[in-house]
Amino acid sequence: MPDLSASLDSLVSALVPQARTDNALNAELLAHCQDILNSHIGQNNDADIGHLADLVKRHLLQTSPTGVTALKFTNLLSRLLDQPVLSKKHASILFLHSLASAPRHPTVTPTFLPSLAPPPPRPASTVPSAADPPPAHQPYGKSKAEKLREYRQKSGQPHLPEYLLLRDTLYLLQGISGKYIRLSVSNDDPEQNKLVFVEDSKHIIAGPTKVLIHRLSEVGHLYTRVEAFVRDREAKPGVGMIEQSLCHHLQAQLTEYYRLVAVLESQMSGPPHSGGHKDGNGGEGNVRGGEETGLTLKRLDVWINEWRLRMRMMSVCVEGARDAQGGALVNLIHGYTDNGDPFVRKFTDQLLEEVSKPFFATLHKWLFSGELYDPYSEFFVSLDPELAHVQYVHPSSLAGGIGHLSADGGFAGLGADNDDISGDREGGLRLWEAKYQFQKEMLPMFVGEAFGRKIFSTGKSLNFIRYSCHDSDWVATREKMSNTGGSLKYSDISGLERSIDTAYQTASQRLFEVFIEKFKLLDHLRALKHYLMLGHGDFADQLMETLGPSLSRPANTLYRHNLTATLETAIRSSNAQNDPPDVLRRLDARMLEYSHGEIGWDVFTLEYKVDAPIDTVLDPESMIKYQKLFNHLWKLRRVEGALSAGWMKVAGGSRTFLRLPDLESDWHQIRIVMAEMVHFIRQMQAYCQLEVIECSWKILIDFLDKKEGDLDAMIGAHSSYLDRMVKKVLLLSPKAGREENLLVQVRDLFSTILQFRDAMDNFYNYCLSESARRDQGRDVDRGVFTGLDQNTDNQQLRDALPRIRRMIKEYGSSFSERAQVIVHGLQSHTDLDCRFLGIRLSFSDFYKSKKEQQAQQQRS
Amino acid sequence: MPREIVTVQLGQCGNQMGSVYWQRLCAEHGINREGILEEWATEGGDRKDVFFYQADDEHYIPRAILVDLEPRVINNILTSPFANLYNPENIFVSKDGGGAGNNWAQGYAAGERIYEEVMEMIDREAEGSDSLEGFMLAHSIAGGTGSGLGSFILERLNDKFPKKLIQTYSVFPNAQEGDVVVQPYNSMLTLKRLINHADSVVVLDNGALARISADRLHVQTPTFDQTNQLASTVMAASTQTLRYPGYMNNDLVGIIASLIPTPRCHFLMTSYTPFTSDQIDKAKPIRRTTVLDVMRRLLQPKNRMVSTTPSKTACYISILNIIQGDVDPTDVHQSLLRIRERQLANFIPWGPASIQVALTRKSPYITTNHRVSGLMLANHTSVASVKASLTLTPHPFLHTDDNGYWQLFKRMLDQFDRLRKRNAFLEQYKKEKMFANGLEEFDDARATAEELLKEYKACESPDYISYGAQEGGDAT
Repeated sequence: MPDLSASLDSLVSALVPQARTDNALNAELLAHCQDILNSHIGQNNDADIGHLADLVKRHLLQTSPTGVTALKFTNLLSRLLDQPVLSKKHASILFLHSLASAPRHPTVTPTFLPSLAPPPPRPASTVPSAADPPPAHQPYGKSKAEKLREYRQKSGQPHLPEYLLLRDTLYLLQGISGKYIRLSVSNDDPEQNKLVFVEDSKHIIAGPTKVLIHRLSEVGHLYTRVEAFVRDREAKPGVGMIEQSLCHHLQAQLTEYYRLVAVLESQMSGPPHSGGHKDGNGGEGNVRGGEETGLTLKRLDVWINEWRLRMRMMSVCVEGARDAQGGALVNLIHGYTDNGDPFVRKFTDQLLEEVSKPFFATLHKWLFSGELYDPYSEFFVSLDPELAHVQYVHPSSLAGGIGHLSADGGFAGLGADNDDISGDREGGLRLWEAKYQFQKEMLPMFVGEAFGRKIFSTGKSLNFIRYSCHDSDWVATREKMSNTGGSLKYSDISGLERSIDTAYQTASQRLFEVFIEKFKLLDHLRALKHYLMLGHGDFADQLMETLGPSLSRPANTLYRHNLTATLETAIRSSNAQNDPPDVLRRLDARMLEYSHGEIGWDVFTLEYKVDAPIDTVLDPESMIKYQKLFNHLWKLRRVEGALSAGWMKVAGGSRTFLRLPDLESDWHQIRIVMAEMVHFIRQMQAYCQLEVIECSWKILIDFLDKKEGDLDAMIGAHSSYLDRMVKKVLLLSPKAGREENLLVQVRDLFSTILQFRDAMDNFYNYCLSESARRDQGRDVDRGVFTGLDQNTDNQQLRDALPRIRRMIKEYGSSFSERAQVIVHGLQSHTDLDCRFLGIRLSFSDFYKSKKEQQAQQQRS
Repeated sequence: MPREIVTVQLGQCGNQMGSVYWQRLCAEHGINREGILEEWATEGGDRKDVFFYQADDEHYIPRAILVDLEPRVINNILTSPFANLYNPENIFVSKDGGGAGNNWAQGYAAGERIYEEVMEMIDREAEGSDSLEGFMLAHSIAGGTGSGLGSFILERLNDKFPKKLIQTYSVFPNAQEGDVVVQPYNSMLTLKRLINHADSVVVLDNGALARISADRLHVQTPTFDQTNQLASTVMAASTQTLRYPGYMNNDLVGIIASLIPTPRCHFLMTSYTPFTSDQIDKAKPIRRTTVLDVMRRLLQPKNRMVSTTPSKTACYISILNIIQGDVDPTDVHQSLLRIRERQLANFIPWGPASIQVALTRKSPYITTNHRVSGLMLANHTSVASVKASLTLTPHPFLHTDDNGYWQLFKRMLDQFDRLRKRNAFLEQYKKEKMFANGLEEFDDARATAEELLKEYKACESPDYISYGAQEGGDAT
């Protein structure tokens, strides 16, 4: 190996600097290295395994002469050799062998922590091994503790033997005072239990032992509490179901606990065999005796350890149950499920699984059948006791059906039982809103508020469908619901959420179905839009035309039957007649409360009557808003009608009064002002119809088409629909105290227009007379006798002209000014749509330029 | 109590237009050729009784009176599948059947002769209505019957029913297709009656109709049927709100009152979009029909059914857009803002004006391949500048300018003056009683037209407010 020696040489010279100069040392080191390399140090070979195997076999044969183990070893060895996993097989076996052949030390006591949950089946088996050490220690002579003990014995104050203490401790665990250790029950505060150690003159109890006992006694203390609670609840009536269930679970736990105590007691066989040689080396004997029976205070502590935690948890629950109940109690327990300690988590999970059972039973009833079965008010939905028995009954079942009512004479029939209905009416929305209440603090946390709300509304919907909607299809509903319901339990929260979701969807779907298909909500909404908001234009025109003349009369000369008859006529002669009869019979015309001096226009109103359960959505308050809208739109329509009629006169006039050329310019002025009025009114109407009513309607319909959400959402959607319209049609401003500023101005404007119309009529009549006079004059000129001389009349007429002209001018300019102010007000309105009305009215910047003109005039 | 409207169709053009119009109404209301409501036509929401009345036997019969002095067109109608639709008692064909010879005077004179008979029909229809709102006249102003007889009927209607509205759908002749030499006379004489006796005139410019047909339908020489369909589409759309009542515009007066502020300026021009194959044969399909598109197109001159001069001072007195179909109301709102922003329309300076939008239902029985369609009715000062429709091409006496647009009334006057100066073709007129003693009527008509022209011009200025005052001042 020349290369080997060369590399060794370089290695040596690198590591040992002296060898570079000293050749002898170098040669010696090289030789030594080569010796090492040639030796077999640290090398394995297969021959060694065989040798080792022999050694092991021999050893095994020594320990068990039957040879079975040796045979077994051979088997194992051959299998091991086949295994590619271990690379150092020899070393492994060598290690095992040396381990086996090493002198035997006493085995380490196997784990001190017994698996406690079921008490160890053979506690005795561990004892022998545990008993081994003392002999091993004996050779070392007496320890200081022994010396102390001996001293104590000599001084006549030996420690109280542990078995006695153990016995007492076991009592303590059950909350009973023992002989040497007592529970002192102070009268003023039962919670402040103290341990009292009874130390007679013969024995003392060591300080550490006392501490130990103190620790153990905590369990006993907690036990008393829990036990007292359980007993207390068992005796008491009217305990909530969740609490009952809690008690049940606690009871089960306590039974476990009793079993443990019993087992422990059986192990503590007490002093019998060790008691004999108590004297002499009593202390030693006691210790031994305890060790033999397998129970010492320390061990007891270990055994009890888990129960301490458990008892603490139970006691916390018990404490909580004092102030909380129902869902809140569940919540309290649920608070511990997020614990990092797996033991606590597991315990509370178990507990919750049990405790929440009644909750889930209630939930199931509520969620799938809309019934609240909650005798102890533990659920997070509560029932308003006042409304509990108000069952909303569909009027058809009261009065013998709709047919009966309409046979009664339609409106009159309805009018008669008006009072009953309005009495009932209070119910609709209130019933829905107030009958059941959501109790947030009772909602179990594991459900979550969002889901809680869903559950609440699902049950409410179902309840509503069932009782208020008089839903004959309830069976169908229930069937649908039952498909969705699985079993609900605590351990399957995601399943629960799924069930809630599907139940919620099914219920709200059903609610929408019931409202839209059965109770024709959409028909009613449409009717309100068509009648109260004048969407049926031809109907409104008709009503205006036939009713108009009588509405100009004082309110007290109007009779309801006339109004209803007119209404009937208007319906018959317009497209309204195609509406469903159920809609038409609800429509009524009546007068509002009127005071002296008011005329028909002020007090006339249309009314649409709704009953249960539609009045849940269309509640009386909404109806008042609808009437407000009607009132305004009706006025608008009246002004429009007046202007159209005026236009007819002007247009006709232009042809008729060609013979009065001197008045042509007056007519022209009137037309220009009228054109401005027509523009104003029509833009206002178009705005109301398009930007407000149609746009709002679209939003509402989009919502209803989605069929998502519950009745609350439906009520909400409707009321925001209505509020949007009221706000925009009436141009309400958010400024407090000045909400109706613009509305008042617009109303003033309306009356200005009507005054203008009156003035125009006067002018028209003047023109008629004047034209007749001139004709007559011409006739007279031609020598035709046409009648008596009417000069005096003519004089009056001619005097009237300046006044008429003045009136027309006055109202005309007053209108323009007001319009200007309104447009200006609208342009700075906070509401975007109202501002758009401003744009509409001044689409060609007419009012702006007018303003600028005024500004210019002022400047100049 | 519907606000009924009685339609009077006069002359060849009027009857052709009318018959297409009635076919269209029947289709829209689900009425079959016999006048019986189709079984599937149950959706309702429409008012058939404005234009139809129900006979005892469930027949729907148009409130229409068909009058012509020559039998050809009416005979065509009576041999068409829709023959049974009309009330035979409402059809008048002159017994001599000679027509009016394209002579206004002849037509007018015929009116006096047949007055009793025609008026009896009109009376009957008027009495058959609960609350008659007015009359619709369909006629042309170029020929003899529509213009002459039409003028006569106009005068009488106005006299007899002073409180009823009269709206005419008047076809103004097309310069290129003019085959009547005396069109300028006929038109001028009719124009006077349209100014004095009608409440509103929907101007259908034959030239523009032909142009739209050519543009939209790629037809160089559109057939009568095609232009008639255009005209009837406009007629149907303009009555849509009366037939499908909504919140507003449910009666004629409501529509007219907002469009016509001063009674003489009552010539309305129209635009319609989109024309598609389901209305007119062989129309190009138009895909994008948003509300904004429709409203913008309506303002484009090329869609107007009146050829007008793009004059700088010309402005809208009023606009009413009747939008049909499935419309999102918020779109309308947006469109109005856009149009205003871009100042797509000029308005009069002397009063507030804006675009009114009437949303109306579309007939559920007619399927169209576009979502939205729209009609614009507008009162525009440039109506006074309809393309020189009265030119006769080729005509020896007239200077023609095919490229330019002339002021309508101005040009009408010019053309009239050219003929009149030479006293050309007056022989036929002098034969009739009205002109036997002189031609003052011509001059009177001319003066009336000129006055209208002046008034329309005045409308473009802010001083229009005092327009009458000066005049009145002069008069006294």
